[in-house]
Amino acid sequence: MKTNTCSVSLSINGEKKTFATRPDEKLLDLLRREGYKGTKYGCGQGTCGACTVIMDGRAVYACLLYAMQAEGRKVRTIESMGTYDKPAPIQQELVAAGAVQCGYCIPGIIMSATALMEAEKDISDETAKEYMDGNLCRCTGYEKIWVALRRTIDRAAAEPKKKASAKGGKK
Amino acid sequence: MKLCEFIRPASLAQARAALRKLGPKGMPLAGGTALHFMPGKAPVSAVDITGLGLSYIRQKGAFFEIGAATPLSDIQRHRGPRWAMHEICRRISTHQIRNVSTIGGNIARVFPWADLPVVLLAMNARLVIYSGKMKEMGADEYFSSQPARLFRGGDLLAAVKIPVLKAHHGFGSVKAARNAAAFSMVTIAALLELKDGKIADARVAAGSAIPFPKRLPSVEAALIGKEPSAEVFRAAAALAGADAKWCKQEGMSAEYVANLAEVSIVDALERAAEFARGRTA
Repeated sequence: MKTNTCSVSLSINGEKKTFATRPDEKLLDLLRREGYKGTKYGCGQGTCGACTVIMDGRAVYACLLYAMQAEGRKVRTIESMGTYDKPAPIQQELVAAGAVQCGYCIPGIIMSATALMEAEKDISDETAKEYMDGNLCRCTGYEKIWVALRRTIDRAAAEPKKKASAKGGKK
Repeated sequence: MKLCEFIRPASLAQARAALRKLGPKGMPLAGGTALHFMPGKAPVSAVDITGLGLSYIRQKGAFFEIGAATPLSDIQRHRGPRWAMHEICRRISTHQIRNVSTIGGNIARVFPWADLPVVLLAMNARLVIYSGKMKEMGADEYFSSQPARLFRGGDLLAAVKIPVLKAHHGFGSVKAARNAAAFSMVTIAALLELKDGKIADARVAAGSAIPFPKRLPSVEAALIGKEPSAEVFRAAAALAGADAKWCKQEGMSAEYVANLAEVSIVDALERAAEFARGRTA
């Protein structure tokens, strides 16, 4: 049977885009060929987490989604996070903790951590581990990644209090 | 599995019509994670059922009804009176998979390592199938052999109905796996009904270490009328070999797997008894 060509329209990092694709093209392949190369190809079978992106607020494996499944969805990749000059808090903490060695898993780790911090309040260790259970790292042994994540969570939790006390001080 | 077409029907009727027309060349797609690993050189047309309003969890009378396209992470995060489904969903694969994989996809075609069929057998769930109209069947009939047999004519799984556990009912499940995200080595689920301090009814099911998930009638019979104690649970679990032929697995002899299954049965029963005595889920 001949494979049909088709198109998919989605939002990537806030920009609406339409791409020609094939029914069996994976979201990971589409993203990478369209220049979103921060999303990594690791195992290609939904195990390692290097290809993790956020779709409609949820962390997903781009290697286990057909591009057509992203129709009308909001996809966020690592390119939506901080830059070299202005890293996001999780990126700052990963560097500070020495959690980045080869770095291949880090885009996926950051996207899972971001999904966690945007979805949950008062994040317990158990909840954090649950959100991170689909990301493998073969360099750092996880301890430093864990330290960086916990620091980022604690930093985010302290932010509203700081803002609130700053507002209170102005009154 | 290769896809050659991606169809987005506007209704269940349209989805069924498309699947009937396509026959073996059509495949319903919800989360779609399993499709990537399914064998078959011939390309198939995917019929996407995610836009048909089948993603929901609601309590209707004596049942929780879960739409077939509900992601496992939604079931894991749901809370309701005496809700017990989150326990096993938390243990299935990884966070990213649970965000995509659906309850329907897990049970429309049963893989040997699947956990949900075990739980649904023990829970005495009911399965709602769309065949032009909605029809229901019990888990015992649905899982009597590969459920894919029920969908050959284009029919679709629409929902799963889980009985709301009553005050004297308790549920427990155990999944033994090498690590948090690994496939199950043994999965056991148990539902106990206690009355006047004794077990009035029991449903115990197993999966993963046997070719197809099934209930363990000898274990169930050994529980009824007895007090829910560790001794009774151990004696009942020892009878599991009469109902299931445990298979050896990589690095594990059949004898080891049988021991693992027996220990897991006792654990699941203890959890169920604790739940029935008032543990909050």
